[in-house]
Amino acid sequence: MNRRQFLARSAALAAAASLPPTLRGAETTRFVHHPKGKADHCIFIWLGGGMAQIDTFDPKRRGNAKTKPSVAGSDYAPVDTAVPGVRFTEHLAQTARLAERVTAVRTVNHKLGIEHALATNFVHTGRPVSGSTIYPSLGSVIAHERGAVGDNIPAYLLIGYPNVSRGPGFLGAKNGYIYLVDTESGPAGFTPPGDIDATRAASRQQLLAPLQGRAAAESAVGDYEVAQREALRLAGPDFMRHFKLTEEPGSLRQRYGGEFGQRCLLARRLVQGGVRFIEVSHNLNFINGAGWDTHNAGQLNQHVLIRELDTALSALIIDLETKGLLDKTLIAIGTEFGRPGQFDGGGGRGHQSSTFSLVLAGGGLHHRGAFGQTDDFSGKPVESPVTVPDFHATIYAALGINPTKELLNASRPVPITDGGKPIAALFG
Amino acid sequence: MARRLLLILTLFAGATLCAVAAAIPAGKVRVDICEEGLPADNSWPTAALVTESYDEDLFGLFELPQKYVGTGVRGDRPFPTLVRASAEVTLPPGKHRLLLRARGAARLFVGGKVVLTTPFDQPRQFAVGNAGELPVEEQDNFLDLGPGYRFAPPGNREVWGEVEFNGPTTIVLETLVGGMELKSKKPFRPELGETVVAVALNGTTEWKLLSPGARQVRYTDVDWSAYESERRCRLAAMNTAARVARREAAKPYWDRRRESARAWLAATPATPVPALAAGFPAHNAIDHFIAQRITQVQAETAPLPKGAVDFHREIKPILEANCFSCHQGAKVKGGLRLDDRAAAFKGGKADGPAVIAGQAAKSPLHQRIVSTDPEEVMPAKGERLKPAEIALLRRWIEEGAVWPEFAVSHFKLTGLSDDLTFLRRVSLDTVGVTPTEPEIAAFLADRSPDRRARVIDQLLADPRWADQWMGYWLDVLAENPNLINPTLNNTGPFRWWLHESLVDNKPLDLFVTELVRLEGSERFGGPAGFGVATQNDVPMAAKGIILSSAFLGVEMKCARCHDAPTHAWKQKELFEFSALLQTRPIKLPATSSVVMDNLRLGGREPMIEVTLAPGASVAPAWPFATFCDEATATALAEKPDHTRDRLAALITAPQNERFAQVMANRIWQRFMGRGLVENVGDWEKSVTSHPDLLRWLGRELVRSGYDTKVIARLVLNSHAYQRATDATLAATSPLFIAPAPRRMAAEQLVDSLFAATGKPFSVEAVNLDVDSVRTIDNALDLGRARRAWMLASTSNERDRPSLMLPRIQAVAEVLEVFGWRGARPDASNGVREVSANILQPALLSNGTMMLWLTRLSDDHDLTRVALEDRGLDALVDRLFLRLLTRHPTAAEKSFYRDALTPGYTTRVVAGAKATEKPPARRKFVGWSNHMKSEANSLRLEEEAAARQGDTPTARLEPEWRRRFEDVLWALLNAPEWTHIG
Repeated sequence: MNRRQFLARSAALAAAASLPPTLRGAETTRFVHHPKGKADHCIFIWLGGGMAQIDTFDPKRRGNAKTKPSVAGSDYAPVDTAVPGVRFTEHLAQTARLAERVTAVRTVNHKLGIEHALATNFVHTGRPVSGSTIYPSLGSVIAHERGAVGDNIPAYLLIGYPNVSRGPGFLGAKNGYIYLVDTESGPAGFTPPGDIDATRAASRQQLLAPLQGRAAAESAVGDYEVAQREALRLAGPDFMRHFKLTEEPGSLRQRYGGEFGQRCLLARRLVQGGVRFIEVSHNLNFINGAGWDTHNAGQLNQHVLIRELDTALSALIIDLETKGLLDKTLIAIGTEFGRPGQFDGGGGRGHQSSTFSLVLAGGGLHHRGAFGQTDDFSGKPVESPVTVPDFHATIYAALGINPTKELLNASRPVPITDGGKPIAALFG
Repeated sequence: MARRLLLILTLFAGATLCAVAAAIPAGKVRVDICEEGLPADNSWPTAALVTESYDEDLFGLFELPQKYVGTGVRGDRPFPTLVRASAEVTLPPGKHRLLLRARGAARLFVGGKVVLTTPFDQPRQFAVGNAGELPVEEQDNFLDLGPGYRFAPPGNREVWGEVEFNGPTTIVLETLVGGMELKSKKPFRPELGETVVAVALNGTTEWKLLSPGARQVRYTDVDWSAYESERRCRLAAMNTAARVARREAAKPYWDRRRESARAWLAATPATPVPALAAGFPAHNAIDHFIAQRITQVQAETAPLPKGAVDFHREIKPILEANCFSCHQGAKVKGGLRLDDRAAAFKGGKADGPAVIAGQAAKSPLHQRIVSTDPEEVMPAKGERLKPAEIALLRRWIEEGAVWPEFAVSHFKLTGLSDDLTFLRRVSLDTVGVTPTEPEIAAFLADRSPDRRARVIDQLLADPRWADQWMGYWLDVLAENPNLINPTLNNTGPFRWWLHESLVDNKPLDLFVTELVRLEGSERFGGPAGFGVATQNDVPMAAKGIILSSAFLGVEMKCARCHDAPTHAWKQKELFEFSALLQTRPIKLPATSSVVMDNLRLGGREPMIEVTLAPGASVAPAWPFATFCDEATATALAEKPDHTRDRLAALITAPQNERFAQVMANRIWQRFMGRGLVENVGDWEKSVTSHPDLLRWLGRELVRSGYDTKVIARLVLNSHAYQRATDATLAATSPLFIAPAPRRMAAEQLVDSLFAATGKPFSVEAVNLDVDSVRTIDNALDLGRARRAWMLASTSNERDRPSLMLPRIQAVAEVLEVFGWRGARPDASNGVREVSANILQPALLSNGTMMLWLTRLSDDHDLTRVALEDRGLDALVDRLFLRLLTRHPTAAEKSFYRDALTPGYTTRVVAGAKATEKPPARRKFVGWSNHMKSEANSLRLEEEAAARQGDTPTARLEPEWRRRFEDVLWALLNAPEWTHIG
């Protein structure tokens, strides 16, 4: 196999981009009309732990965690947004001003229960855990369907911890992610260790050359050797420059805020570099200990987390818009479930999957600030419930992927979502 | 240890203690395990019954001998179990300091009086710890008893005091192992932690494990670690003996099974070994079968005219990608098979012969792919064939549709591989790592003509054999433990039963019987853990799918929710099989049934059928009468009225020839890189390439008493196995003319990298609940890994930095890109994807694990090698042998010698010493505190430290050391590293 053939084969990982988007698989276009968006990229922000919708995007009347007994309701005051009639809580004030570019889908719900791992898996894959197959994550499906945008760049980047829920499942390793755990460390496998400077990297490659030369072309070892050259090239300046946040103006970096904001800024750089899907984890748990899993005392500093999200999200929206990328880039905020309006014994909140908010922004959708209506304490939907497969279908449709399409798991056709329908109101 | 003492201990009466002391062997610590008469409310028993005893040298315990049930599978002791260590100790007269440390509540009797106690589990501690909110600051309160003091590991409690000694004294330590969490009434993991009595003699600061005899061990980090490894070997030997004893008790039944297998062999026709075809080399019978098949096929194959379409290279990939999903194997759509020449020419129900040689336009195969009628066109689903593909198919038919049975381009065997290539291959295939320098030297020094056979025998007897098979069976049996909160179709950690089965080389029929009986411990490594599938609506159906594929080559995945469209098996049959495991009828839940109406929304008829209605009850039954008669179970099962025993007997009966052949085929595939039935877990979809050899191997397996190693020995000794690889082959020749290079399994690669460099495999304990605040149902401790298979997914679905295990992650990320799976929610057939992708070389060139391996730290064995003074030539030779199991070529030798020459003579820094780490007490992060900000910050520091790697040695001059590290990096990144040549 020569280099060209090899690259064709390991397409989505590295050079997928140099090929037309692969749309192989069963295309069932016979009977369903589906909206087709024009977004090219997706930034998927993950709020692990379960974001309390009632304290963020679905405010209700004020409660009080501190009285005995506590009073159910939002822990913070609401603020008006740019969309008349839609309010967020006070700690999302900056995003509120941009609400015309945002839709908080307030009626997402699932019956997978309130265990983190299971629900996390469901919100990433859109399917319950099965004993007979492993379903691919949103990122892997999109990488598989559309490849990378740019040349010689991976399709799917993860800023967060690897886990099986984020993985490619039956779509196979080539649709997996390249990951980094924070903006300092760089992508695993492509960031030379600190004591390896460019000179030393070059001398290592010279030392490797005679051993590479032994690998017979057109052989399994030869395939590996071709992949190795590609990997070493990616570890070089062309790809690694995308991770250099220091190239960004200081004022812009400041607008994005702390580490989470820097991750969002990195995501924007990766969008510019041609990455198709970037998952950004907001797991800065040292802020309040619990992260978004705000039981008990985790509630005390929840507002700091929310403000960090607000700062980064609003900066990302404005930055993308300034650079003309917002309509091409769908921002989606995911979390495994929400939290009830009532407080727990320690002044925090438990888990709730009967309704919770997932958020969309940009991506050329017809935004409306909020979609769907929940009851007095945001305990369940009262209007326009949305399933997790519906949410996925909306993301696929926004990215121009047929949400009724079937993927192939070996020979078995698997619908891309489990009966999901895009939220029609968001498409023109 | 097997002694069963029936002795009632009244534990608070000093008088009884004296009576017990009489039975203590001189100079030893007697350890009594009491499983009966224990209260469930976390209090000391008033009367406990000793059920097991053994001797120890010292008052230093960290693990009990394993308890075994059934035929020797891991079982649970009761929660709690009382452990009592007693000895007669003589210390110099005077007042000495004593330390009592244990995980569970403990108390220390000196001369019959309680002198030290540690508390029972505190309910508040566990309530707060379970929520992850124990303040990290609480760790600021710890005991420090002077220089060199070994700090208590997480979760241990300790107390000390001064005790007056005067002459020989009876010392008794008691601890309760695995108490009860009182609120949930669930037990804690039965862990000893470090259950220790240590002493610092009057006027000294040195702590030693209390000893009744001559053996003295300092209780320091270094000495404890050595003591623990030495005792672990002894425990392993005790455990092995205990398993042997259990199997001995079951011997009469298994003797009867062997007898009946012999009778069956005698009563059924043997497969004769063919005479060796002329001109072929042979080491044993296998080579006769292989040669016979090659000559047969060669005689039937006409050479392909130049320029003609090559079926295997050009046509089969098109059929595979577009047609095989419905038209391969025994059950196919429209009765048409396209995976077999004769069947394709015979054709299906609708169209008659699919291919008419020479007449593309008349061939339905061609008509269907060009059709414009949506009801007619093929493929029925998915994209149409590309014009170039259609043209190729047309040309192939026009040229006469030449369809050779096997994809071979020639019939010329490769010669025997050279000695070192053979040694590397056979070492990886048997013990999972590349050969060491001494192993290479011993093999090369053996000049006897049968040295290959001798080294094979040595390797087959090597205990690392078990390690090499672990990854395989963990995949095939879908072991999927979760460190915390099992939800994702998780099982128990039955890895420990698997490993012991392989260490014992259990006969395969016993192995399967133990698995199917689902006995023993569910949470601590028994086969009962296989029976678990969390959040699965019918766990036994999931297990039925695994068992049928693993041991019968029957794939029933599809039948989980509907009748398989392209497999013979219906959903009812899977559920019958599963009901045997369930031991009663299973009611089909609606969640396990496809709603057909959803599939009938348009287009053609759905490809699948549902013939079993949701709510239907399916009774236990053996669906595989084609393999053997259900009545066989009545004659063969140990308990013929027990459905699991019946199932085990039916799978493993010699009459069920399929089982022996499936197992022989799995062994063959592992060593040869290709099965005689290529799809080892789904025989319906494969054609058997060598039916006679397969049947012969199956009978040999039965004859051997189902001994894997007998078949392994046959295969490894064959010329076919030992032949040189043909590098141009992507896969081993279907006629075994030559093997192809095989990509190392992930575990082989990682284990070999550590073994060859001599860098210690040092990662965190595979455990998120290090201080044991969680009950057994929601936290596992998988211990310290010494080989890659012992790792597991760090399960960080929660995405919390505090739940990260950074060192494990650094190794796991390498394993995963090479095909290992940390989480195994679904079964695999044991054959992994091996294609190259860029993440593989990326992580080997710039990953964290490789940074550890290429950094010459003081604990790196190549640092030691580099310091030795044997000259540069010898150094380069040794590096090649150790890392690549070959000699460098002349060009390589001079190239790498030149690279290492500058600074070589002055590389050793005079007077520099290896750095010694003083004992440091580091705060720990566990589930108990992971919701605290400080815990998250601590873990991020650990992560940064892992990424930083160890400090380089000061004993080598830095510039030369870096040069050497770069050469090491290059050798470890040699593409040949990843493949078995």
